[in-house]
Amino acid sequence: MNPIVASLTEVFQMVFFVLWSVFLVEAYLYLHFKKYEEKWFTPAMLAGVPLAGLVYAITAVGPAIPGSIMAAIAMYAFLVELAAIPFFKLVVRGRYSLPLMMIAPGFIGLAMLIAYPLVFEFYLAFHDLKLTTLKVWAETGSIPFMGFQNFVDVFVKSPLSEVTFWRLLLRTLGWTFVNVFFHVVGGFALALVLNNEIKMKGLYRTLLVIPWAMPQVVAVLAMRGEFHSQYGFINVMIERALTAMPWLAHLGIQKVEWLSQHPFLTCTMINVWLGIPFMMVVILGGLQSIPKSYYEAASIDGASAVQKFWNITLPLMRPVLAPAVTLGTIWTFNNINIIYLVTGQAGGTEEADILVSALYKAAFTYNRFSYSAAFAIVIFAILFLVSMLWLKYSKGTDSAYG
Amino acid sequence: MRAGKFLTLLAFSVALCGCLKPVRSEDDPNHITVWEQEDSTVAPYIDATLEAFRKLPGNERVTVSRVHYSNEDLRQQYQTAAIAGTGPDLIMCPSDFGGVFAVAGFILPVDGLFDLSIYNKAVMESVLLEGKHWGIPTSNGNHLMFMYNRKFVKNVPQNTDELFKYCDTEAKKYGLQNCLAFDGGEPFWFTPWLGGFGGWPLDKRTPTLDTKPMREAVDFYLDLRYGKKVIPQECDYNCMDALFKEEKVAFIINGDWSVFSYAGSLKDNYAVARIPMVSKTGLWPSPMVSGKFFMINARLQKDERKLKLARELIKFYTNRENQVRQVKELKRLPSLTEANTDQSVVGDPLLKASMEQILVGKPMPMATEMRPTWDSMRQYLGKIMTRKVTAEEGITKMQQDVSTKIGEMNR
Amino acid sequence: MADKDLELARLENDRQQRRDKIKTLILHVLLILACVVTVYPLLRILSVSLRPGDKLMSTSLALIPEGASLKAYADVLTTTHFLRWLWNSLLITVVTSFIGVSLASTAGYAFSRFRFPGNKLGLTLLLGTQMIPAGMLLLPLFLMIMRLGLINTYIGMIIAYSVSSLPFSIWILKGYYDTIPRSLEEAALVDGTTQFGAFYRIVLPLSTPALAIAFLFNFTSSWNEYLVARVVLSDSARYTWTLGLFELQGQFLTQWGMFAAGSLLVTIPVLAVFLYSSKWLISGLTLGSVKG
Repeated sequence: MNPIVASLTEVFQMVFFVLWSVFLVEAYLYLHFKKYEEKWFTPAMLAGVPLAGLVYAITAVGPAIPGSIMAAIAMYAFLVELAAIPFFKLVVRGRYSLPLMMIAPGFIGLAMLIAYPLVFEFYLAFHDLKLTTLKVWAETGSIPFMGFQNFVDVFVKSPLSEVTFWRLLLRTLGWTFVNVFFHVVGGFALALVLNNEIKMKGLYRTLLVIPWAMPQVVAVLAMRGEFHSQYGFINVMIERALTAMPWLAHLGIQKVEWLSQHPFLTCTMINVWLGIPFMMVVILGGLQSIPKSYYEAASIDGASAVQKFWNITLPLMRPVLAPAVTLGTIWTFNNINIIYLVTGQAGGTEEADILVSALYKAAFTYNRFSYSAAFAIVIFAILFLVSMLWLKYSKGTDSAYG
Repeated sequence: MRAGKFLTLLAFSVALCGCLKPVRSEDDPNHITVWEQEDSTVAPYIDATLEAFRKLPGNERVTVSRVHYSNEDLRQQYQTAAIAGTGPDLIMCPSDFGGVFAVAGFILPVDGLFDLSIYNKAVMESVLLEGKHWGIPTSNGNHLMFMYNRKFVKNVPQNTDELFKYCDTEAKKYGLQNCLAFDGGEPFWFTPWLGGFGGWPLDKRTPTLDTKPMREAVDFYLDLRYGKKVIPQECDYNCMDALFKEEKVAFIINGDWSVFSYAGSLKDNYAVARIPMVSKTGLWPSPMVSGKFFMINARLQKDERKLKLARELIKFYTNRENQVRQVKELKRLPSLTEANTDQSVVGDPLLKASMEQILVGKPMPMATEMRPTWDSMRQYLGKIMTRKVTAEEGITKMQQDVSTKIGEMNR
Repeated sequence: MADKDLELARLENDRQQRRDKIKTLILHVLLILACVVTVYPLLRILSVSLRPGDKLMSTSLALIPEGASLKAYADVLTTTHFLRWLWNSLLITVVTSFIGVSLASTAGYAFSRFRFPGNKLGLTLLLGTQMIPAGMLLLPLFLMIMRLGLINTYIGMIIAYSVSSLPFSIWILKGYYDTIPRSLEEAALVDGTTQFGAFYRIVLPLSTPALAIAFLFNFTSSWNEYLVARVVLSDSARYTWTLGLFELQGQFLTQWGMFAAGSLLVTIPVLAVFLYSSKWLISGLTLGSVKG
């Protein structure tokens, strides 16, 4: 079959599948919302849902499912239904049907995709899976139980040679703060400039967005190339400047070995360049929602540009800015790509590593799966704590949660 | 009628879902999947050979598919797939992959399945671990050699003293900024020199980094960069490659995988030799030698028919005819001993020189301890070369670091 | 007297116009400087793609290198399955973006307008999913997708992609919805539309900037994604361009010319989407409806 036709058919099947799943979910919820009061409902559902699960399993996988799995499916479906019924009876009582139905498809998808891996990671963190136990695991399906040992190891034994966990943590925090600061400031500056009536705005916007639009790997490799001590743009320019104006050498300007001497600084500069366009687009979108009439009214009252900014722009931007900055912070904290691509590959150094990149190295280079699972959970816990504290402190919750 | 519509819709969708299940190629006994990490310029050769296998009489129903991954990806992906119980039937990779895979039980030992005596002994040694062999070699080499541009070099230096003399005089004549270039960041380039001073990074399964030969080799390296200033300040693989192609450097040290590309760009000016003997010790530097190997997925143990097919494929791929063809097309040395006497090998000066280099090389260790050793070496060599620590300090720390890492890995 | 006032007014006007002109000039200069910084690395990639001989590095800063040729472009289009990869990527990305934005728009509205049990919890959970270091989930993700039989299918990819961009999309849409006053919907409800109708007919059209941002985010993330694709797809006929282009990277040798050419070619669709979406980034609110 012509490959294009084949792929289109497959995608149509897929779209149909998604629509059908959403429909099924909505029908299930709708049924529960509307009919939960009826007498016949509870027993019918308790019997029907497991049955439906079995039917689906048989058609999807084939009639040769072992009986144990059939029983497991039936049991799980039954339990889910058993939990759902009181939920609808007591908590929901037929209200909130619309909002819950609106968020259901997305959340179910998320739950499916994230829940199993999370449970798996927790399982790994409390057991011991590494290179030498892989074989045992494949053969017997079980690995030794470790209790909290892995978690203790995370804090006590560093995944890298020179740097301790705490130093990594500090470095990660520094990395996050500096990057987010410049992203927001830079993005705001550009957005404010673009928010005026000037010609060729569309062209400027498209050009400015290039670091975000380009595939990240290519962009990082390109920028990394610019920092190369012999062939990079920066050093070549320095060299040319020095030959043209030798007196600059006395000011201390000389070629810098960016990647070997200042890896962390290099990574930061590259990440700032990479991250500003995204903030700019989000802030620009937010700025658009502030009507010009507000600014005009303020002008009439004699407000300066700074006053307008503080009192009109910032407060009205909060609902859009808060999630972007929060998410941006979290992403920067966990950003492994830049560090890995610039310094992590062959010939690189450990000096620019942050928590996640050190973790990745431990996991995939040395096959310390349990250790890295525990590490991941620790990172998650740290982030969670910090963001909860931050949201409480900045009362961001109020404006963020609306 | 809403119930009726609903039920029909349900039935239809359920039926459709059944159609969506793809056929698993692993269950097809006539299909072989091969994963590899070769450069894309090599891919046509592999495809042609696999195609020739398919065309053999009796193989009408056989299909072979090849999937490419980059080096690191191949390691990780194979592990992920093997943990899940799937993965390809065969994998073509360098020997060091075998270390992890063997310990974790992802691949089968090949001792009972093939006649191993027909293959080059030294190459087989590089997949020997705990008394068993873990792969079948398709080529010999993957080693570093001394390469030079004949435009600048009339008589290739035989030892390091001659090299330095040349760099002091001749190189200046041609106005070359640097005499020699190589990937200063990768310990793979350091190990030949270490061998030239009588040391070696790994002894069976124990790293031997804190040794006198290591100190001497490190001093030599530092001297190259800061003392005699023979090599550029910060030069990695791409930098050395560019310098050589742009004819800005007389010598580089690179591997047999690059012969192909330099022969194409420098044409007759391109020549290969042994890395010069270390004058101080009188030893030839010993690059690590291995090759590319076929390794068999442990999953095949349960599948008689597929295992048989896989064995036939491997035997076909490494038979004399194909080995000679590989020499001609990829300029790689054959792993089959009898192919070494073929005219295409003996008659080609580049291959002949490559062979000379292999003769003083040492097999690359396959033990899982090699990985942390590489990482420690890379980390501390880097620090020593950028003068962040003294050589003495760096070497001691290197040894400590690798012991810690191994301890954690094997705990 | 009137003449003098007129004279003064005219002078003031001129001064204002001059100030405006200077302001515009400064704005343009700033923008041009910024554009140079963002565009320059791209131009360097362009020169690598034009440079013959797979030379990644060169001390010449010339944007058009000597001996420039379009051979790399021709090679990447003919010798590799580049168009097939583009097609796969396009298919997956477009479907993902539409699904992602649809699911997020409804969910964001629910979080914005309703107080239901689990509102705050849900939002916090969404935030929480972003805190898990992504690389760690790859192994279990692979196991799960394999057991569901979705390995090597478009379905697996689309589900994974559309779901992973949900948290950001939901948050940004919710934040945007919060800035739209409820009075508009209340007016509509009084007129007899359902809540969902009010959402669909009134709020949604007004939130085009946020929808555009969510779409752009979904699009760029899926288009450029590598890790999940590498895990899910192993049949080269289904490769997205990320997998395909990285095939050109060997262990040591990379065909830089083709790699650079390919990278530029794949940036074009994204930039096109950005250009096209710029008209959506203008909110309906500023076009004169009611606020405050």
